Amino acid sequence: MVDFLQGWLLRLAPYPVLVLVLTSLLAIFFWVPTDAGLGLSQRIFYYHVPAATSCFIAFAGGGIGSAMYLYTRKPLWDHAAHAFVSVGMLFATIVLVTGSIWARTAWGTWWTWDSRLTTFLLLWLVYASYLLLRTLSRDNEMGPRYAAVLCIVGALNVPLVMLATRLFRTIHPQVINNPQGGISDPRMVTTLMLSMGAEILLMLWLWALCVSTLRLGERVELLSEESYRRSVPS
Amino acid sequence: MLALIWKDIVLEARTRETLPTLLVLGVLVLVVFYFSLALRPQDIDRTAAGILWIGIVFASVLALGRSFVIERDNGCIEGLLISPIDRGSIFLGKLAVNVILLLAFETLLVPMFALLFGVDLMANLPGLVLVLVAGTVGLAAAGTLFALAALGTRAREMVLPLLVLPLQVPLLIAAVQATEMVLGGASVTSLGARGTLLAAFDVLFVTSGWLLFEFVLVD
Repeated sequence: MVDFLQGWLLRLAPYPVLVLVLTSLLAIFFWVPTDAGLGLSQRIFYYHVPAATSCFIAFAGGGIGSAMYLYTRKPLWDHAAHAFVSVGMLFATIVLVTGSIWARTAWGTWWTWDSRLTTFLLLWLVYASYLLLRTLSRDNEMGPRYAAVLCIVGALNVPLVMLATRLFRTIHPQVINNPQGGISDPRMVTTLMLSMGAEILLMLWLWALCVSTLRLGERVELLSEESYRRSVPS
Repeated sequence: MLALIWKDIVLEARTRETLPTLLVLGVLVLVVFYFSLALRPQDIDRTAAGILWIGIVFASVLALGRSFVIERDNGCIEGLLISPIDRGSIFLGKLAVNVILLLAFETLLVPMFALLFGVDLMANLPGLVLVLVAGTVGLAAAGTLFALAALGTRAREMVLPLLVLPLQVPLLIAAVQATEMVLGGASVTSLGARGTLLAAFDVLFVTSGWLLFEFVLVD
């Protein structure tokens, strides 16, 4: 299944990704009307929210890949999970940076210990420790399994983190499904959908590329081991 | 499983290595935080619970990192693996030992804490014990699950805090707030979401450790 998905993504995704990313950027900068209350700074929202969605999809994929790896013990699932966490981290970093920039203009501060922000930061830290664990246990054949366990437990922990951080107050805007305020102009909705599609597809394409890199890396390692074995007379 | 718990307790009782180390570390944390925050008497009510938990978390990371070093250095892990017990039971046994050790440490640390910070433990002693036990089980479960994984890396024990601290934050938030409340004399039923969160964390990490532990052991 990973093979199938990855193969088709590599073949088909690049063109729609290019078109969607460009049109969504054009829409964000030139077409969508400026928000009445927040002004220009609100435009970063079309980049921030899809990045968050993409990163959640990627982390969910990482959890599924890890569970499948422990179940089947096939390295391909491990590569899938590893690649998902890597691209998820990229998008999570984008979310934190764009959110921070927006918060500076809207709230007057780069960071605040709000429930959603804290949840996100902790999520980022858990997956950072996942990548760290992968790097540090590269020469241990148990490494992928440790990482898979961390990825599953980390994903199961998310609801608790949300519950815990809510013990503090929250000021993060609730935009989608909010009866008062929120986005209402159809052009805003279209732009959001457009950049949502662009970023999710971009994330999947990057994932497919990342999986091929990991597979290549594994082959290189196997080949170099073999050449080493041949060069040393036993 | 009982034999597993017993052997570790006997080991600790004979060597007397871990518990004194933890205690000294715990008291040091209390002292260092007292001075680095430059606490005035009126601040103590707000910060005491947090400082106590920092001491417990640091000590737990240290203790849990040790718990598999003994097994590995002497090749005991292989012995455990060929013995006819379920992998989940090895986890539960190790967890029980770690919880007992940490609770022993806390029974020594908490009176010292009360003495140094002038906190009244008797305000709601059963509540305080309950919160401490619930918090300790959660910390130990998360730590026991990842202690072996941390040992498997090149950086060894150094990695354990990096793996478990981000996971433990929700527990810590709930435990600190709950401790603050019971120290102020609040009843356990008034803890609300904090109590639920402590219980949920314990259930999640004990079950996932029990189910997933077989994957971190070598076949």
